[in-house]
Amino acid sequence: MYPWNSAAYNSNLLTIQRTIPPNGYDDQDKLLSDALGIVRSQAFQMKRCLDKTRLMDALKCASTMLAELRTSLLSPKSYYELYMAITNELCHLELYLLDEFQKGRKVADLYELVQYAGNIVPRLYLLITVGLVYIKTNSALKRSILKDLVEMCRGVQHPLRGLFLRNYLLQCTRNILPDVVQAEDENEGNVFDAIDFVLMNFAEMNKLWVRMQHQGHSSEKSRREKEREELKILVGTNLVRLSQLESATLETYQKLILPGILEQVVSCRDAIAQEYLMECIIQVFPDEFHLQTLDPFLKSCAQLQSGVNVKNIIISLIDRLAAYNQRNEKAAGVEEGASVIPAEVQLFDVFSVQIANIVQTRTDMPLEDTISLQVALVILAQKVYPDRVDYVDKVLETTTQILERLNLNNISHFLSVNQELSRLLRICVDFYNNALTIIQLKNFCPLLDKFDYTSRKSLALYIVMNILENETFIPTADETDSVLAMLTPLIKDEEDQQQQQTTQEKIDPEDFAEEQGIVARFVHLLESDDPDMQYKILQAARKHLGLGGPQRIKHVLPPLVFAAYQLAFKYKSIADKDQMWDKKCQKILQYCHSTIAVLAKAELPELALRLYLQGALIIDQIAYTNHETVAYDFMTQAFSLYEDEISDSKSQLAAITLIIATCEQMTCFSEENAEPLRTNCALAASKLLKKPDQCRGVVTCASLFWSGKKAGEEMRDEKRTLECLKKGARIASQCIDPSVRVQLYVELLNHYLFYFERGNSLITVAMLNQLITKINEELPTLDSSEETKQIEMHYKNTLVHIRSRMESNDSTLEISFAGITLN
Amino acid sequence: MASRKKSLLKVIILGDSSVGKTSLMNQYVNKRFSNQYKATIGADFLTKEVVVDDRVVTMQIWDTAGQERFQSLGVAFYRGADCCVLVFDVTAPNTFKNLDSWRDEFLIQASPRDPEHFPFVVLGNKVDLENRAVSQKRAQQWCQLKNDIPYFETSAKEGINVEYAFQTIAKNALAQEAEVELYNEFPDQIRLNADRNNRPRNADNCQC
Repeated sequence: MYPWNSAAYNSNLLTIQRTIPPNGYDDQDKLLSDALGIVRSQAFQMKRCLDKTRLMDALKCASTMLAELRTSLLSPKSYYELYMAITNELCHLELYLLDEFQKGRKVADLYELVQYAGNIVPRLYLLITVGLVYIKTNSALKRSILKDLVEMCRGVQHPLRGLFLRNYLLQCTRNILPDVVQAEDENEGNVFDAIDFVLMNFAEMNKLWVRMQHQGHSSEKSRREKEREELKILVGTNLVRLSQLESATLETYQKLILPGILEQVVSCRDAIAQEYLMECIIQVFPDEFHLQTLDPFLKSCAQLQSGVNVKNIIISLIDRLAAYNQRNEKAAGVEEGASVIPAEVQLFDVFSVQIANIVQTRTDMPLEDTISLQVALVILAQKVYPDRVDYVDKVLETTTQILERLNLNNISHFLSVNQELSRLLRICVDFYNNALTIIQLKNFCPLLDKFDYTSRKSLALYIVMNILENETFIPTADETDSVLAMLTPLIKDEEDQQQQQTTQEKIDPEDFAEEQGIVARFVHLLESDDPDMQYKILQAARKHLGLGGPQRIKHVLPPLVFAAYQLAFKYKSIADKDQMWDKKCQKILQYCHSTIAVLAKAELPELALRLYLQGALIIDQIAYTNHETVAYDFMTQAFSLYEDEISDSKSQLAAITLIIATCEQMTCFSEENAEPLRTNCALAASKLLKKPDQCRGVVTCASLFWSGKKAGEEMRDEKRTLECLKKGARIASQCIDPSVRVQLYVELLNHYLFYFERGNSLITVAMLNQLITKINEELPTLDSSEETKQIEMHYKNTLVHIRSRMESNDSTLEISFAGITLN
Repeated sequence: MASRKKSLLKVIILGDSSVGKTSLMNQYVNKRFSNQYKATIGADFLTKEVVVDDRVVTMQIWDTAGQERFQSLGVAFYRGADCCVLVFDVTAPNTFKNLDSWRDEFLIQASPRDPEHFPFVVLGNKVDLENRAVSQKRAQQWCQLKNDIPYFETSAKEGINVEYAFQTIAKNALAQEAEVELYNEFPDQIRLNADRNNRPRNADNCQC
């Protein structure tokens, strides 16, 4: 039909050679502005000619302007700018021609005429422009001209020029592609002609684009790849055009469009093209189409070149479908849990099978990418089927199997596989925000076991923090068991722990304490409303936490003991409903007793002592059968810890003070038990090593004989109370350091005053005066120091108190303060 | 010079991804709307003839990709624009916040002659949806601050305000064009003595 055409086609093919611009792309700006200058001047001339209706001259200007696109010196981006400027001017030519044609001034043989342009690039641009005008004014030409144009463009085989030329063809034909299933006049073409047209253009552009990779020197590979990266958009526009065809139904997409694209993508065997085009398919076609073509699409993914990052493609598709599901759920107001994905589309299963297939066929894929695909699957399951925990579990199972097949254990936290695997587990934790759901995932722990100690521990910490943040209560013994098993690295020492810790620096004790503090906080969330269940929970927890060794149990057993004490109170409060409450309390206290014994054995006497004393107080309040004996035992346990295990004098004083205070509070003891306790307290206090400690301990003992209980009442034994005070005063006077001595006197004065005010008739004003005189004598002799200041302040406040009592007219005061000499 | 009979107006639609740029253009040009989401990659245009003040003008409406990764060749198509339409989604506050950067980006890349008075139009799209998050007042305030940009609330789905908004766009674009035409469009002076052979053209002597 066009003899000159085939000649040009051939001669061009022969002379094609891609050359590297001699000067690189250094003076792009200059080159571009030169070219744009010519475009401006030629466009101006062209428009002038058009205004004067000198069409042939105008075409000549247009051709000269278009010749600028023959350059090989511009980078893709600069070429694009030039192309934009020129095609913008061509619009004016098109508008002019269209106007003329519509007015009936049709120029004969214009389509043939423009083909006399000397060079093929301007010739084809003009041909497209004119062809478009022909089609717009006579749609019966559409089918044949479109076919002709897409064929003719083969004449340019230079990749950059060819790509832009075909992009121009695509742009110009956007509005006129036949988009009907059946045309009235078959010459106008139908949607299938449009699909053929675009697919052909796509195939040709893709070839040009891929060919770029193989032309030129190998040293410029990276520059070429960058250029290809920039030009990809031109190839992708073909797919956009296909997606814009309104009459292309799902069926057309399934049978014609997608197979057509995929065939090109797979057969071009070029990694850059494949990766981009697959991503492009995902983005430009609607979700409704993707959902029905998952199999062919994913199958093609398995066939891509080894350099293609298949992981990203699949993740991108999953992201898109998950977003679609969420968007439509919101719009349709579907109940939560229901999905807008059509029921016949087994989204999860399809992806699951196809991903397995990809993992199997692409043996070169790095393991971390395989794991990333599993992560994507989990995200899909969670977003589309939020309540299908089994789907998530299945992915975890598959992942575990993959690791087992590779015989991977103890996966080091330095590996990138480890990071992906951790992400997989963390996504589960974050999604459910509920440890109870996590333990339903049967494969969670087996997968967790594949990690090295460091990662296991950090994951355990992640889980326990999640529990705390969400205040997830663990309401049964079985669940307690499972959760604690999951947290094992935090709960006890593990076999592989040592070897890993020796390779790193030792764990910072503060960090360790903080971590165990977190576990201790978690213990408080082991809670059931049902007291019997609560008891079972405590037993289960005890089994796990008891294994932690002295360093850990110090932190985690006390909260268990307190939880047990609370439980005992709870039984007491439901005593009228639960006849067995009494027995149950006994058991609970036994549990506490043995738990505290473990702490005592672990060389934590001070802690154990406090817990025993607390226990004694609680037993006293609950008052179940036989409670006196148990309480006495708790007291004596505390006492023996005091005697045998606590040697530091400061700790001794603190401990004996607590023991005395507890004794003073206890109401359940008969004299048979109370007396030895009191006597022993007094004895122990007087045996303290340092005199000031002795003094304070003995004086504290006074309360045992005053407000300590006897048959439920305060004892008010005036004589023995005073004896303690006097003994204290004697010990104070034996202190050598005057500052300490005065301090003790001031404290003593306060104690004397306390019992004086409470009405101990054996304490006289003379005794008070005697103490005051002593202090008045000695206090001024002290060296001035911070300590002295404090003593002075204490004394001053005491005197203010006495004075206020003396001046008070309160008749309810039983005691007369008269006669106290303050100075 | 004699003015040509027909004017060509170039309008660029910008905004974040999935605010409805393509839908607005389709509604205006083809009177069609689809709920299906298809991402736009790169940029291309549709044309439509409009009558503004008794003049027939051809409006070239450029639909663009909201995602930057889809603009691998840069944004050369901003050049020569006569009006820029900024679109946001009234249900997505972020898309509104980003208007600033879209506007700045456009002014930098397109470098119009008089950036202060370059015609923008802002469209708050998707007003048919219930979960609105950007109030009309807030949008209007922003537009006022930016030299009184006209603001329209549209729904590409229901066709609300679309025709009206684009009429305004055409009108403002035409006013801009008229102004530009005042400047002489004469190209650089023609240097008779310039040796054009010095330009290193087509080093490969390729005939195409």
